[in-house]
Amino acid sequence: MSRKSLHRKISRRKFLGTSAAAGAALAATGTGLPRVSFADSHTIKIGFLAPLTGPVAAWGKPGLDGCLIWADWVNAKGGVSIGGQSYNIEFVGYDNEYDVAKARTGATKLIKEDGVKFIMMLGGDTWAGAQPVAEREGMLFSTLLPSDLSPDSTTLVAPCEVHPIYNVTGVEWLAENKPELKTAAMCAQDDALGKPSVATYLAAFEAAGIEMVDAPLFFDPATTDFAPVMTRLMAGNPDILCLDTCYADYVHPLCEQAFQQGYQGQIISCTADFYQNIIEKTSEEFMEGFIFQFPDFDDPALNSEGINFVNPNEFYAEYANRYGASAWGAVSWEYASIMDLWADAATRAGSAEPAAVLEAMKADGTGKHAFGTADWWGTELFGIDNALVGNWPVVVIEGGKARIKAFKSIPAWWDQHKDLMIKHMTDLGQMWNQQG
Amino acid sequence: MDLLWQTAVNATYAASYMALIAVGLVMIFGVMGVINFAHGELYMVGAYCVVFLYAQENFPFLLAVAAGLVFVGMIGLVMERTMFRPLRDNPLAGLIASIGFLLILQTLAVFGFGRRMGHVPPSTQGKLEILGAVLTYQRLFVIVAAVLLLAALWTFLRRSKFGRALRACAQDAEAASLQGISMNQTARIAMFIGAALAGVAGALTAPLVSPTPYIGHSIIVTAFIIIIVGGVGSLEGAVIAAVLYAFVHTFVTTFFDGVIANIVGLALMLAVLVVRPTGLFGAKERA
Repeated sequence: MSRKSLHRKISRRKFLGTSAAAGAALAATGTGLPRVSFADSHTIKIGFLAPLTGPVAAWGKPGLDGCLIWADWVNAKGGVSIGGQSYNIEFVGYDNEYDVAKARTGATKLIKEDGVKFIMMLGGDTWAGAQPVAEREGMLFSTLLPSDLSPDSTTLVAPCEVHPIYNVTGVEWLAENKPELKTAAMCAQDDALGKPSVATYLAAFEAAGIEMVDAPLFFDPATTDFAPVMTRLMAGNPDILCLDTCYADYVHPLCEQAFQQGYQGQIISCTADFYQNIIEKTSEEFMEGFIFQFPDFDDPALNSEGINFVNPNEFYAEYANRYGASAWGAVSWEYASIMDLWADAATRAGSAEPAAVLEAMKADGTGKHAFGTADWWGTELFGIDNALVGNWPVVVIEGGKARIKAFKSIPAWWDQHKDLMIKHMTDLGQMWNQQG
Repeated sequence: MDLLWQTAVNATYAASYMALIAVGLVMIFGVMGVINFAHGELYMVGAYCVVFLYAQENFPFLLAVAAGLVFVGMIGLVMERTMFRPLRDNPLAGLIASIGFLLILQTLAVFGFGRRMGHVPPSTQGKLEILGAVLTYQRLFVIVAAVLLLAALWTFLRRSKFGRALRACAQDAEAASLQGISMNQTARIAMFIGAALAGVAGALTAPLVSPTPYIGHSIIVTAFIIIIVGGVGSLEGAVIAAVLYAFVHTFVTTFFDGVIANIVGLALMLAVLVVRPTGLFGAKERA
């Protein structure tokens, strides 16, 4: 076909113009489809404002699925007792698609139309959308990402996941158990999840005496081909590959690329969602010793004294029964564990009103975190003590199965190395007072 | 040196699947004058054909790829008959209809396969070593398939009666019609080939990416950059621009940063538009 031939009906200018217009229209479209829910006067609604579709859905949808189990169990036992009255709990989901504008719309809708008493979010980039609504309405919000915390957001708490700070526990355990590993390379997607996690890993590696062979490699979240990323990471022959807090969509192809390009060293990552699929794409031998931070809840270690999550093994079994074992992910239990804290605080407050629940939640400066009693903490890092921080598990894949190897203390690491953390957070512009 | 070779191998793979997608998009635009915004979703459907047939139903990988090619080509025929033909005199309406169609395809994929990424085990874990660089068979399939399919397309367009008809319609539809060439038939052929190329690219790369219902977004953006750089409407331009873009993007990612690579890719497009507004191989607009 002639190079001049395919050129009619529509001019180049029109093509470029309409493409741009269509792109904008496409970006503006989308379906933040709210769920319609109905509740009687003895039901309390809880908002679930997280990505249920799109590339970040793995950190939203499994959490809502876990919450539905939590609600069924609590409601079957008569509900949550508040002020002498039992209330059933109903979740109202809103898919923010990890989009700031949709998060704002969803927060408004959940409060104004659904009358929710508490809203759980993944946070990150989407907190910017919900923040003005939270401030205006005084609504209690939770985030899985304490890097969202700031003194300006007094009704935002991080009562479960202390991302990315808990990543220090994995590096600390690695340094203690494999002291011969001395160099690392790291990559991350360039977004609000990736950057603070990079700062945390840099601090943890420095504290452990592990040297970076290269500067962290940031990639665009739209990346689909990870071969160049892995080629670059492996170029420095690192002892450790760090996959930071990459989404599951990235961790899988990154591991596959590492396997295909012949990497034989240690891998550490914040998450390894659906790790059975990674093993299938690589091999059990390749994934042996892979370190991450999120246990399967059938782990016997979760039955030990001090664990506050209610019936973790039964929860995992029910989750696997409803959704399939391979559906279990990092956040499957997290939002449910936040609900344990909320229900306990609401019962003690005798009210479901956000201000009363928040006050009861933080009453004595401690809280029953899923992995043990923890402290409300964070002024030095977040400008406000709204993160519940204590122990966190270090998980290692052994024989194709994730197993908890240790529970390690985040505050203990912080007491020794906080200067490093603050330095690296500051260098990457991730301190609360650097965010616009 | 190993790093250079490995990067070159990575770039060759990227150029291969990008060329398949971009050439398909150019085919549809060239013959029908329609900007098919659903092209990325045709890639996605091809990937899900492999998710379904190969990963879930255990059909042989190459059979699943062939099925993806044909199935997505058939979707192209449906698009031509139900959307683009009735809107033939209104390219803007065709573009808007394609946006609607991409949302339908995304939604159907969510209904059929869920929101989570599809899991596709590799069809082989074998690999070659070329001057210290690793090339897996899985990636080699993509490169070989792209070369064969694009060569076959070139031969078809140059040597066959239907190919000549396509070129004639693309040059001047009215004159072609007066010579007895059916516009409907050429549009059908162009749409089938264009869609099938996107579908086969998705099917071949399914084990190498994480297929999700939304993967088409990033694909279509790259495809548009390539065809703008190559010259809107030029098949040769699309192939050369795919190679150029893939090498620039891959080398910048490897030696600098993935984010910088995207900026450089867009800067490349802007530079071409400034220096040569028609693209590297585009024709000047007729008065």
